[in-house]
Amino acid sequence: MATTATTTTETDAAAEKTILDSLETRASELSIWELRQIEAKPKTAAGKAVDWLLRLLPLIVSLLIIAQYKFAPNFKEFKPLDKSKPTNLWVWFIGFFAAILLARVFISLFSLLENVRFRGDKNNSRWNRAILFSKRTSQKLRRNAPIYTAVFILLFAYDWATLKTGRLPQPYFPWPDAILNAMISDRVILWKSVWHSLILLFIGYSSGGLAGLVTGIAAGWSEKARYWVWPVVKVLGPIPSTTWLPIILIVASSLFGGSVFLIALGVWYPVTMTTMTGVLNIPKSNFEAARTFGATKAALIFKVAIPASSPFIFQGLTQGMSIACTALLVAEMMGVEAGLGWYINWQRGWAEFAKMYAAVIIICLTFFLVNALFSFIKKRVLRWKEGGVV
Amino acid sequence: MSERGSIEVRNLNKTFARLDSGGTLCAIEDLSLTVEPGEFVSIVGTSGCGKSTLLRVIAGLEMPTRGEVLCGGVPVTGTNPDRGLVFQEHTLFPWLTVRRNIIFALKSSKRLGANRAAVDTLIGKAGLSEFAGSYPHQLSGGMRQRASLIRSLAVSPDVLLLDEPLGALDSFTRMTLQDEIIRLWQERGNTMVLITHDVDEAVYLSQRIVVMSPRPGRVTEVVDVPMSYPRNRGSSDFTELRVKLLTALNFASEVEQEYNL
Repeated sequence: MATTATTTTETDAAAEKTILDSLETRASELSIWELRQIEAKPKTAAGKAVDWLLRLLPLIVSLLIIAQYKFAPNFKEFKPLDKSKPTNLWVWFIGFFAAILLARVFISLFSLLENVRFRGDKNNSRWNRAILFSKRTSQKLRRNAPIYTAVFILLFAYDWATLKTGRLPQPYFPWPDAILNAMISDRVILWKSVWHSLILLFIGYSSGGLAGLVTGIAAGWSEKARYWVWPVVKVLGPIPSTTWLPIILIVASSLFGGSVFLIALGVWYPVTMTTMTGVLNIPKSNFEAARTFGATKAALIFKVAIPASSPFIFQGLTQGMSIACTALLVAEMMGVEAGLGWYINWQRGWAEFAKMYAAVIIICLTFFLVNALFSFIKKRVLRWKEGGVV
Repeated sequence: MSERGSIEVRNLNKTFARLDSGGTLCAIEDLSLTVEPGEFVSIVGTSGCGKSTLLRVIAGLEMPTRGEVLCGGVPVTGTNPDRGLVFQEHTLFPWLTVRRNIIFALKSSKRLGANRAAVDTLIGKAGLSEFAGSYPHQLSGGMRQRASLIRSLAVSPDVLLLDEPLGALDSFTRMTLQDEIIRLWQERGNTMVLITHDVDEAVYLSQRIVVMSPRPGRVTEVVDVPMSYPRNRGSSDFTELRVKLLTALNFASEVEQEYNL
């Protein structure tokens, strides 16, 4: 990926140049990555040494985690509730990431051979391409190493504070190996819960978003619609949608339907607001230009108003996403008898803290993936925007 | 006067409601004007003389308060792809690439079928081949205006209305585009109505120049430009016409100092 090196500066520009020269790259054909290489400031020997230390650091800490887990004694009053012993799952888990890091370090090390020529051939393109790949990996590793290290240090500290010393009150803070094992042993019901939560989220979010789009465009487009929509938005908007939960629990014939309504309501408000603002802010000239080509009213709405206000619409959809995630969990914790929110509550009732934490982590992962998908779509749709999409 | 591309403005009055004072503002008063098919007419006047309003009424974006406008013998009741309009600020849709912008115009006017193949030719002629897939914000000001121009021409309008299309560009780009406008006009033979506050531009481009005076907007003088294309900006005929126009616009005494008006 050409953009991976946008912030890195740790390259020896002179050495890099020889590679670029041998690739016979002309200035007009430079890729973004190659341009950054040329523009980068040369590094001192000490700077390079620090870089290599940083590249190795996450690997070192990950090995320390394994060493601590395997060889340091567990804390004295170590009495697991279900008599389970610490397993090797944690070792495999950390080991997996350590192996990936090791591979990346090796690939990065390969770039040190850049001045060695394969069989004396200066222009062996395969060799040069391999060196370039290695340099890219090296830069990426250098860029990500500090945050990896921080995460591993946190994991190290957590394991130390729970299983090894019991500094965090037990059994409320299960050690990581127990959480991993809980995920594995309860995987069927966890998977079902994820699925149920996702379906509820998707139906609620899309219906709320769609409704918000319709009312927002109507209110932005016609003054009559705005006359009716505006007071509703003004009065109902600031009330968190979860306020209605107790009423919904009583009135709704199905809890699923009630929760869909709850989530949809939470999404509807911001999407309506931003869409309306977006449509009202479209420069008149956009519509006038379209009209001089003979565009129909439907085309003015669907081909001009909606795309023109799409940055605003996405702003509302982003706000709606976080509201929807909150509403989902509240609904599941309060009433719906399925899904991740319900699962957490249920396990809390049984004092199964490892399973609770397992669910928390899975919620994090799920929402992270949902949001990643959402930003991916947003970036694609809004790629015409000047200055890109944040 | 019912040929395609003719424009007939009959006793046009246009009054706007003024929201600030609660009164009304007469932008155009009793204006009559005839443009022959295939003619290149410029309308010059100081700002606020109602020249843009006139163009918008011809385009069908504004309705006359009194009087009527006929295009090709048919009264104007709304916009129509037969009358293209190029604005001062480019009105390319920022969410569409150059090519898609042109296809949008063709689709909206239901003229896509026959012209789909011509889109890339047109883009090529405007020197934008490399940028056909670029979004408007990735283009320079001149390229944007050029793309705007060919988008309006793509639907083959009988009349192309130009509302100070080059006003926001630097003088070199402006001169290049002036030549391009002449070339496109000569190729297609459609009627051109250009609004400008640049006297040089009017003399360089048009066959007839309509001078308007402000508040209320009315025609004060119509000047014929009997020069053949391409015109020489330095010729004595050119200078003479410039002085004549500036006199009509009451700027004559300042001609020497304000050469680069």
